[in-house]
Amino acid sequence: MVSKTEETQLNRLENQVDNGGGGAWEYLCLVRKLKVRRSEKVLKHGLSILNDPKKRSALGPEEWTLYEQVAIAAMDCQCLDVAKDCIKVLQKKFPESKRVGRLEGMLLEAKGSWAEAEKAYSSLLEDNPLDQVIQKRRVAMAKAQGNISGAIECLNKYLEIFMADHDAWRELAEIYVSLQMYKQAAFCYEELILSQPTVPLYHLAYADVLYTLGGLENLQTAKKYYASTIDLTGGKNTRALLGICLCTSAIAQLSKGRNKEDKESPELQSLAATALEKDYKQRASDKLGLLTSALRSLKI
Amino acid sequence: MAEDLVLDTAIRDWVLIPLSVVMVLIGILRYFVSKLMRSSQVPDPKIVKEGQVIVRARNLRAGANFIPPKSFRSRRVYFSNEENGLLFVPKGQAQNAQAQMFSDPNMAMDMMKKNLSMIIPQTLTFAWVNFFFSGFVAAKIPFPLTQRFRSMLQNGIDLSTVDVSYVSSRSWYFLNLFGLRGLFSLILGEENATDDTQRMMQMSGFGFDPTKSLGAEKDGLDIVQHEWALPKFEHRAEAVLKKLIR
Repeated sequence: MVSKTEETQLNRLENQVDNGGGGAWEYLCLVRKLKVRRSEKVLKHGLSILNDPKKRSALGPEEWTLYEQVAIAAMDCQCLDVAKDCIKVLQKKFPESKRVGRLEGMLLEAKGSWAEAEKAYSSLLEDNPLDQVIQKRRVAMAKAQGNISGAIECLNKYLEIFMADHDAWRELAEIYVSLQMYKQAAFCYEELILSQPTVPLYHLAYADVLYTLGGLENLQTAKKYYASTIDLTGGKNTRALLGICLCTSAIAQLSKGRNKEDKESPELQSLAATALEKDYKQRASDKLGLLTSALRSLKI
Repeated sequence: MAEDLVLDTAIRDWVLIPLSVVMVLIGILRYFVSKLMRSSQVPDPKIVKEGQVIVRARNLRAGANFIPPKSFRSRRVYFSNEENGLLFVPKGQAQNAQAQMFSDPNMAMDMMKKNLSMIIPQTLTFAWVNFFFSGFVAAKIPFPLTQRFRSMLQNGIDLSTVDVSYVSSRSWYFLNLFGLRGLFSLILGEENATDDTQRMMQMSGFGFDPTKSLGAEKDGLDIVQHEWALPKFEHRAEAVLKKLIR
């Protein structure tokens, strides 16, 4: 996760570099450290350093890290020739390096020659079966080929060992949602909430999944998670506010016939609705009519 | 007495400077030797998995109140049931884990290499210093010091009348041994500095028994009282919204 101060720092540096203010290397270091994906900028500024022999040699041994970074960014931008050149330089410097081997595999992958990439990866995995990056690449490759069930299989195998890797859990959750396997997705989101209990996005996604699953109990749980999202975001999350309204009306419909032991706060929905109206009034007053009619249709 | 002691410039040229230079050179040599001997070890999947299980179980314990009771209970059973739970260690297995670690020749080899590259040069240089330079007063520091520093600065000289600000050659060796880290990090780059204290930390990490922490984690998980925190959140959300609307 990139924190807000880090992001503003990054943006400031990016601005500075874009306008020719120098500090390109610092920018690239920060991008690497935060693991953000700004491939176009990285490619542009990284190449400008690499093409200038004086600047390049000033980096010392960091030069090779930069080659790697630029190569990956180039593959992301489909500048395969640039990537190829970078990898060639690295190959010359570090023959037999597994890290370079990984890059070559990625280049094959970027070209779309899946079979060859698979071969490269599996030979690398033979040497070190616990290479996390390569295992993740295989998942990505399966996904890119449209082989979703293969991706799930790979991910599950990966998670069997690296079960504390929450990024992998998140990927799995999103794949399950895309396949409408909500029960499995709910499990993954629970795992994410466990590993980072204060990230509102996971609460929100979990609530969404529970709401989609339906059923009285799930709806009530979903409402609670929407409420926790509101608490964690300070009421700024529109999706959570709408979720509260939807959940309340769905719960009311389901429990219409039964005796109403409404120990849950009935106030929450009206509060959420008012907050929504206020928010819309401030930021999109022309859409206020849509909102009020939608809310009215939910009214019990 | 102490003021009368004049150090020969030859001592500076033939003891102080050579000693420092040799220490630096040996440090660099050691770095390259240890780099040569370093073998990339493939971690055992079982150990990696155990570490990850512990992290995940710890997460479960810490965040238990954030997931519904049913989910928590199923996870707890998954982790700590007595048949095939991830944290459950069969009795017989627990003991031979350590023995197995010692019998693993690769591990012993690695430790040997680390030890060799650390201890051999140190003993050699110490012997060299002792043999050639024992009893030299090699330098004088430009400020007075209290008696307590005598054992630090005048190792190898058993004279209580010499002023403490004189440094014996053996003490100079020790000062170099421990004080050159900053210089190494300048020469060899930040992380490459051969750090003895760090090495010792790594050494003590050896012999750590993962099965023990698995058992501890299991016990911790067994006694967790699950109290779902989410119902409270509804009230808190209400309070937040009330504040927002106002």
